[in-house]
Amino acid sequence: MLIQIAWRNVWRNKTRSLVIIIAVALGLWGGIFSDAFMQGMAAQQIYSVIHTETGHIQLNQPGFLLNHDMQMQVKDADRIIAAIKTNSAVEGVSAIIQLPAMASTASGSSGIMVNGIQPSDQEKVSDLSKLLIQGDYFKSDRTNQVVIGQQLADKLKVKLHSRIVLTLQTTTGDIVYGAFKVTGIFRTHDSEFDKQMIFVRNKDIQQLVGFPPDAASIITVLLNNNDDTKKVATTIQKQFSGMQVQSWIQLSPMLQILSGTMIQFTLIFVGIILIALAFGIINTMLMAVMDRTREIGMLLSIGMKPSKVFGMIMLETIFLSLTGAIIGVIVSIASISFFGHYGINLSIIAEGFNAFGYSSIVYPTLGVNFYIMLAIMVIIIAIIAGLFPARRAVRLKPAEAVRGD
Amino acid sequence: MPVIEIKNLTKTYNETMVPVHALNGINLEFEKGEFTAIVGPSGCGKTTLLNMMGGLDQPTSGSVIIENEDITQMNRGALTDFRLHHVGFIFQAYNLIPVLTVKENVEFIMELQHRNKKDIADRVNYLLTAMGMEDKINVRPKYLSGGQQQRVAVARALVSKPKFILADEPTANLDSKSTDTLLDLMATLNEKEQVTFIFSTHDQRVMDKARRIITLEDGKVISDTKLKATHESINS
Ligand SMILES: Nc1ncnc2c1ncn2[C@@H]1O[C@H](COP(=O)(O)OP(=O)(O)O)[C@@H](O)[C@H]1O
Ligand SMILES: [Mg+2]
Repeated sequence: MLIQIAWRNVWRNKTRSLVIIIAVALGLWGGIFSDAFMQGMAAQQIYSVIHTETGHIQLNQPGFLLNHDMQMQVKDADRIIAAIKTNSAVEGVSAIIQLPAMASTASGSSGIMVNGIQPSDQEKVSDLSKLLIQGDYFKSDRTNQVVIGQQLADKLKVKLHSRIVLTLQTTTGDIVYGAFKVTGIFRTHDSEFDKQMIFVRNKDIQQLVGFPPDAASIITVLLNNNDDTKKVATTIQKQFSGMQVQSWIQLSPMLQILSGTMIQFTLIFVGIILIALAFGIINTMLMAVMDRTREIGMLLSIGMKPSKVFGMIMLETIFLSLTGAIIGVIVSIASISFFGHYGINLSIIAEGFNAFGYSSIVYPTLGVNFYIMLAIMVIIIAIIAGLFPARRAVRLKPAEAVRGD
Repeated sequence: MPVIEIKNLTKTYNETMVPVHALNGINLEFEKGEFTAIVGPSGCGKTTLLNMMGGLDQPTSGSVIIENEDITQMNRGALTDFRLHHVGFIFQAYNLIPVLTVKENVEFIMELQHRNKKDIADRVNYLLTAMGMEDKINVRPKYLSGGQQQRVAVARALVSKPKFILADEPTANLDSKSTDTLLDLMATLNEKEQVTFIFSTHDQRVMDKARRIITLEDGKVISDTKLKATHESINS
């Protein structure tokens, strides 16, 4: 009966209750949707980085990534690749020769990273071939083709079919030069990557620097499902215990921050909105209690326990807050799934986003965990907000509250 | 044995600049089945006296003994329990819970007492019929007239068979016809249920229905008249 009374009391002053319910709904909608948007951006970036830069898992000699020492090679790469490919969770594996170099043209030079790849293998682990804005991805069999990022092309003032000269160190420590023809220009979501990374056929670079055949600097693994990353990484590590095996989380600390702290951050964000709303809820409930001074006095007089009166006001506060929260969550889920499907196009300001590695279309998303945490938070906030009006109610002296005059 | 025994009761309100001596040494006894009016001009202490008897407020001195127990010594929790189980209240207004129907309002007390559903249903039906409210059981109070609301309040006060019922100016907001109806219904149930009714009033028509009239002035009893023999004394 207490529940019934509390629920009906919520609807006694419809305008007053609706105002706060709508405030809660809108506040939460705003908070939840921006959270979903940020989560969507994070997920987007994680996806882009995995699918154009790191893959899910990389294998290399321990310490290689520290200074790209070309002597730290993964020998016997073919055997390792074959072994990794037997795992059904693996979508593609690619061996990469990665060498620091200098790229020069008549207009200037730039320190870059040469990636020697087998194009058909690399296409299985990276979407880079789909991100070409000019040219093609090693379509012809000609030697010494290079695919570079737009940023680098701009910096070196090169166009398609221009030549650039790569200066590298051989395995014996000598300096060599190689002239390469730009056959493709790509543009990813990460302008740093576009400035740094250039791609050539592995056999062209092997010949130039004397890199042994059947060796690689890095072996990149792409999985069918991101959720398998940890499991597969552990398996590969066990198989090749002398190698360093790292997942994208370890490879990109920035992504780790994004994926790890996002949920806490979003909850803090919504939490602040809820705290602001709590003041409105307190105000509404205090007004409700004041309006009903006589009625509450009557209830205490006829023998309703103060604890029950307290509970009644608490329940009213919780119902009021939850109604608003449920509406807010429903509207949020609806708008998140709509935009989660169609995406939000940020192309107008996309230049700015690209610089940080974001894609211009964001698909908002939120996990179930978030909603569970949110529900707990709403109830906690409602309970805290209810304490003041409920305390006010039970402090009423029945004799004074019911005085007819 | 009296139902209520009041001994040397005084109440001084100290919240004001000048202390108000609302009750100045009241001594009274009430027997089972009484139908008693407490009368006197506004400010004479009627409400204060009823509040002390119902355990709604603490006196400054003196005692209110109900079946050998001095309720002025009870703590807040015990008083709440005492009111729930032993006193029926009828106020001048704001008696009913607006969000509950007539039936739910009357059931409320027995539900607070955790009585079983069948007992509640039987008792509530009986009383609402007795009060002539049987066709309004599912109506909310705001759709009732003042007189009808007070009839529901009487049913609510009687529902758990309390030791006595305190009604503070129950007819103050009613027209004379509703007043007569309400008083007659109260008198009938007083006879039937043998429950003590004590009500305050300054309405002559209400006084005329009472069997005992206690007159207060400046917080003192100035007269106490038994007009007719009570039901009990006729029988005995
Ligand atoms: N809470 C209070 N604080 C101060 N004075 C009060 C309070 N309640 C009643 N009084 C005073 O006590 C006296 C008796 O009041 P009351 O019992 O309400 O009389 P009645 O019900 O007969 O009109 C009045 O003078 C009134 O002003
Ligand atoms: Mg009064």
